[in-house]
Amino acid sequence: MVCALVSARISPNFIERIHSVRLIPRLTKELNLCVVADFIGEACMCLPGIIVAESGDFYNLEIWKVKSILGRDFKYPETIAERTAIEMAHHVSVAGRKLIIDAREDNTDE
Amino acid sequence: MNEEKTAVLLMRENPSKSPDPYKIQELRGLAGAAGYQVLAEIMQRKDRDNRFQMGRGKIVEALSYHPKKLIFYNALSPNQVFNIRSEFSAQVLDRFNLILEIFSTRAFTREAKLQVELAKLSYDAPQVKSALALKKRGEQPGFRGAGAYEQSMYHDIRGRMAKIRSELTDVESQGEDRRKRRREQGFDLVALAGYTNAGKSSLLNALTGSVVEAKDQPFTTLSPTTRALEVLGRKVLLTDTVGFIDDLPHFLIKAFRSTLSEIVEADLVLLVADMSDPPELLRRKLAASHKALWDCEVSAPIVTVLNKADRLEEGKAEELVEQIIDLAPNPVLASALTGKGLGVLEECISQRLQPLQEYQLSLPYTAQGLSELSRLYETTELLAVSYGEEMIVRLRAREETVARAGLSGAHRL
Repeated sequence: MVCALVSARISPNFIERIHSVRLIPRLTKELNLCVVADFIGEACMCLPGIIVAESGDFYNLEIWKVKSILGRDFKYPETIAERTAIEMAHHVSVAGRKLIIDAREDNTDE
Repeated sequence: MNEEKTAVLLMRENPSKSPDPYKIQELRGLAGAAGYQVLAEIMQRKDRDNRFQMGRGKIVEALSYHPKKLIFYNALSPNQVFNIRSEFSAQVLDRFNLILEIFSTRAFTREAKLQVELAKLSYDAPQVKSALALKKRGEQPGFRGAGAYEQSMYHDIRGRMAKIRSELTDVESQGEDRRKRRREQGFDLVALAGYTNAGKSSLLNALTGSVVEAKDQPFTTLSPTTRALEVLGRKVLLTDTVGFIDDLPHFLIKAFRSTLSEIVEADLVLLVADMSDPPELLRRKLAASHKALWDCEVSAPIVTVLNKADRLEEGKAEELVEQIIDLAPNPVLASALTGKGLGVLEECISQRLQPLQEYQLSLPYTAQGLSELSRLYETTELLAVSYGEEMIVRLRAREETVARAGLSGAHRL
């Protein structure tokens, strides 16, 4: 699986500036809350600010629980800009995953 | 209050989540708006009961008040409705059906009636499908089968939905033509959007001096209402729209697409919120409005207007603005009742609208040219007209106004 991260400065209605985009691939045998939290925590390392992720990513847990798991400030998307940033990260992750899979298939063919 | 319409409100809360008092408060408001007299409110913290949504004991307790209807906050599945009806002989409604009931009593225009019918059918279609599947479960093939008549009900619903959709598409295209015409006439389109009962209609009345129906109850406005307004020299059409609500099903937004297109296609959106609400509730309402605007794919600039500023003291207002700064960084504080802040709002509207462009164009001395000049006097800000071999007109206007047929010689300065 891959984790895409968009680090941006936002206003409620639009993204003001994108600082960086990260794409981290990882192979896991199982998928659970600990793996996801660990993965997202690692992806956000050394980046200041509030982490915003979709509620499904954290199994619809309440915000205070996710905050205590991650040990960082966290919120689910509320504004248009936060949703736009998440949509952007989705596009990056889908495209990145496809590239990784294609590259792996090419290597196997060779 | 109608004596006949009595109800008990029921809400099941997930035990793993924090209690939320605002949900039942909102349901009470909705029940009141639908004309129900609320006899009692019953809440239970429990995991979902597949049979009755809540525990049997709570439903028995609710029925002890002898209400006409049981209104659930939680969505009910067809099975749950069937079980409660057959087991307790009680009439039930869930929150979504309650909203639809309010809508159907307030839908006066053809467009609104069609939208409400489409929303109802969108909700009913899967329920009918499921009911038919239940009915056919014990079916024997042949003589005792449920038959083609029952099966056709679902297809009839789908057919009616397709017909309504095509009628609403016509309405939408009429709206598009209307908006295009209005832009050509030099108007900027501004939409009032926001959570239900935020005071959008009152704000429209206060800004334009009109007397659109405005009441202290949810969903007073269903069909868009447009009024003209002049804001610091700019001609603006202000449109009041249907209010948003939390956890709105996606198909309801789809059903009201033609109404919501007034927001989507606007040049500026005024997001109205009620600042007399507690900060936590205000945050939730703003977040729900942002979600609805995101679902509608709004791309126009948004100005947040905190209405009912007269209900808050000066110091408290500043404190509140600080608490919602991440959702509304520079809100305009206004009061439709006292007129406070309306001047600031007008200034803000004129600043956030796209500035008019300066054009120079030449017109011939023909009947058509002179009539165009007359139209330009009405629809644009005419800066100068020089009469040489041709009439050279310098003006400031929207692109759409100048791009109108017959003005092909126009160029931007």
